[in-house]
Amino acid sequence: MKQLISLEVNGDTHEIAVEADATLLSVLRDNLGLIGAKRGCDSGGCGCCTVHVDGKAVYSCMMYALSAQGQEIVTIEGLGTEGKLDPVQDTFVKEGAVQCGYCTCGMIMTAKQLLHDDPHPDEHAIRHGIAGNLCRCTGYHKIVEAIKTAADN
Amino acid sequence: MLMTNLNVVGKRVLRQDAYEKVVGGKGFPVNFSLPGMLHGKMLRSPYPHARILRIDTSRAEQLPGVKAVMTPKDVPQIPFNPIFFMPAGSMGIHRDMLILSDTVRFAGQPVAAVAATTVAIAEQALQLIDVEYEELLAVFDPEEAMKEGAPEIHVGVKNNIRDTPSFSAGDVEAGFKDADYIFEGTYETQRVHTCYMEPRVCVSDTDSNGHITIYSSIGHLFGLRERMAYVLGLPVSKVTAVQAPYVGGSFGSKIDFAYIEALSALLSAKTRKPVRFEHTRYEDFICNARHPMKVHLKTGIKKDGTFTARYASTLCDTSAYSTHGPEVILVHAYFGLMLGYRSPHMKWEGTVVFTNNMPGGAFRGYGAPQAAFAVESQIDEICDKLGFDPIEFRLKNTPRQGDPHPFNPEWKLNSYALDECLNKGAERMGWSQRAKTGSASGAKKRGIGMAAHPLWVSGCVGFPDIYEHSGAIIRLNVDGTAYLSSATMDIGSGQNTTLCQIAAEELGLAFDSVRMAPGNTDNLPFDAPTHASRVTYSSGNAVKVAAADAKKNLLEVAATVMEANVADLEVRDGMITVKGSPAQAMSVADVVKRAESPFMVIGAQGPAPTTLKEKGTIMGISSVAPPANASPAVAEFVEVEVDTETGQVKVLRAVYAHDLGRVVNPAAAEGQVEGGLQQGIGFALMEKMLFDPETGACLTSDFLDYKMPTAVEMPSKIECIFIESNEPTGPFGAKSLAEACLIVPAPAIANAIYNAIGVRIRSLPITPEKILAALGKL
Repeated sequence: MKQLISLEVNGDTHEIAVEADATLLSVLRDNLGLIGAKRGCDSGGCGCCTVHVDGKAVYSCMMYALSAQGQEIVTIEGLGTEGKLDPVQDTFVKEGAVQCGYCTCGMIMTAKQLLHDDPHPDEHAIRHGIAGNLCRCTGYHKIVEAIKTAADN
Repeated sequence: MLMTNLNVVGKRVLRQDAYEKVVGGKGFPVNFSLPGMLHGKMLRSPYPHARILRIDTSRAEQLPGVKAVMTPKDVPQIPFNPIFFMPAGSMGIHRDMLILSDTVRFAGQPVAAVAATTVAIAEQALQLIDVEYEELLAVFDPEEAMKEGAPEIHVGVKNNIRDTPSFSAGDVEAGFKDADYIFEGTYETQRVHTCYMEPRVCVSDTDSNGHITIYSSIGHLFGLRERMAYVLGLPVSKVTAVQAPYVGGSFGSKIDFAYIEALSALLSAKTRKPVRFEHTRYEDFICNARHPMKVHLKTGIKKDGTFTARYASTLCDTSAYSTHGPEVILVHAYFGLMLGYRSPHMKWEGTVVFTNNMPGGAFRGYGAPQAAFAVESQIDEICDKLGFDPIEFRLKNTPRQGDPHPFNPEWKLNSYALDECLNKGAERMGWSQRAKTGSASGAKKRGIGMAAHPLWVSGCVGFPDIYEHSGAIIRLNVDGTAYLSSATMDIGSGQNTTLCQIAAEELGLAFDSVRMAPGNTDNLPFDAPTHASRVTYSSGNAVKVAAADAKKNLLEVAATVMEANVADLEVRDGMITVKGSPAQAMSVADVVKRAESPFMVIGAQGPAPTTLKEKGTIMGISSVAPPANASPAVAEFVEVEVDTETGQVKVLRAVYAHDLGRVVNPAAAEGQVEGGLQQGIGFALMEKMLFDPETGACLTSDFLDYKMPTAVEMPSKIECIFIESNEPTGPFGAKSLAEACLIVPAPAIANAIYNAIGVRIRSLPITPEKILAALGKL
């Protein structure tokens, strides 16, 4: 039985009918066409689906869309302004932190949260801050460098 | 001499696809959909070995939203093998898989498939399919599988032994008699998964004429077309495989054809709608993995530190099917175990065994990581026992530049700088200050270790041997830019950027003037899979040839317009000039405009006719075989800290030195090394697929149970030393990089652990339990 819900995503309000067990990830991707959040495991293990809900980075595969009602949801598509990349997106490109890129959007959303909570994290804090996001291509090296650079800027 | 006046090659240019990936990455295959698309799901066997007696799909078919159900009787029973470096029907490859079979040989093998209007309905329908199985005895241990009385997995394959390849050179027994010392050991490696992040996914669209168009995450466009046609009994021209702009990782796995591609095409044909399949992570985990191997190594050594004899045997669990097992063991043996170090006498014997385990597949390194762990560990043991310096020892026993290939003396090792890799890496790591083994004090002990991979990797075997010609098309635009098309799939390495750099350099354009334009198997020349460390070398060569062809055509038009000789023209940074008189210049854009202009052009002096000779799109095309598949050379040094209280190992620092001929893009090259180390640390210390011993069910089928390194487990210091030995057959001197980055870390780490605590672990992964047990603490 579907329910009509209202979700606020990247400043836009969407009225959608969803199944009670629909995850926020599936609604973002399949109903709203916001494909930046990726399905990597659907079990809270990889972090590819990370988005912000009321200012907190969450695995959107582990949250029901119903429980995201009334909260402010930000996805990768909500970063940056007026056609310009967010500084974290920009440093990911410039530091070569993107390889296959499947983890990238989730990683950037986690990095945004990390830098919001601690604008000048040391390397230890960065590594622990992104430990919930897996990457199989980069060895995280340039990702850590990109976050350091974004913090310095 | 390495060319030094290059504008684009060798530059740290930014990846073109990164801009798209940081804002969402809409080009991933997982995002592809078509109007009216149905969703497919597979029903998988809970048993590891069973015969299907009966399948009743009637309840599933009646579920509203279900459009088609397929069982073994609905699919062509054409046996196939997903290996990709030989044509599907080649002699000598074992074809023993079916799209759907009435015999199940591993837990999770698909037995039926459904297409429905939603994923949820398709999943619900699976629950309504009734299957009656006759359970058969299963065997999971390859040594058990070879014993008399073990269950027969494939009819007629005695003792489940698929193949027993071997080779020998000289007289190995005589060699052992000549030896002053003999070393012997058994080294085991485990089943690990590639863990690409983007699930396998495909959408097939079969038209009413039976033509299949498929969009897939596969890493081999032409392999997909060919394999699809083969298993469905169709001519290849009935299949079009469409290239995705990029794919979310493969590391070998995705070059194999999978069940989903064939099933989506069949379900699409039946329903006349596009059908999409997306693997769950569980399905990805049981799709394919690195073959576990057990290597016995016996080595005879002279007092002077040279080998007198090398004997090895390898037991390879090829799993339920012959997927790569008979091939990977050969690459493992020749190019991993035996031929990297010289010895007058050698012998190797392999055994490839069927079990009821999940299929094996390709994984970065293709048999070499299993070999290197054995060989490089044992060399460390030899050096430790006999007091040789591990670097000098290796240099004494490895080839030299100019050496002939053992298969054919006409083939020479053109470019080869292992000595530089070893010496520069050692210097950077501070190897000469390495502490004596086991001398560290305190509970946390540090150690330094190294490993090399002297010669040949996967397809880089010194000669062109496999099904792997490459092609490219270059088209010039009226704005002075160029499109490059190549059928290779960018699975994340950044090869599209690298290939654009090669094209831009050859054409004389700026890097950002060349863009990769994806195509499909209808409009692109054949290219091999993204495998075998080959794209920069082989596809790079094809791109360079196509670019040279386009440039020749460009300059011929320019010569007509500029009233100059072609030989006198040069093109650099988008401008064509007459050599020696830079004032006589014309932009590439203007030449292309002229070629594409009407037959009359209006110039400052009024209307003027153009000639037929100038007319047409300026383009270049190539289809060429890789000239030599030149060998890289590699050495890696690592520093570890072993906590002798907990058994935990932390890798603190890695120095990786690699002769790759020429660096095309330093950032991409470093990325390969850094990512290879992550996979190598996982292989060495953490990763192992586990299965229920009774049911064969995969117990590590998500990332909560399968532990791969996070940012916390990685060292903050990863240093790359790239040696540019200038391979004469490579594009601008380039050779290869990708796979070796994952071959050397495990033995280097094992050797560093030995240096730290004086304990030798000969089986991977080196877990805290193994370390504590070896220290007598468990």
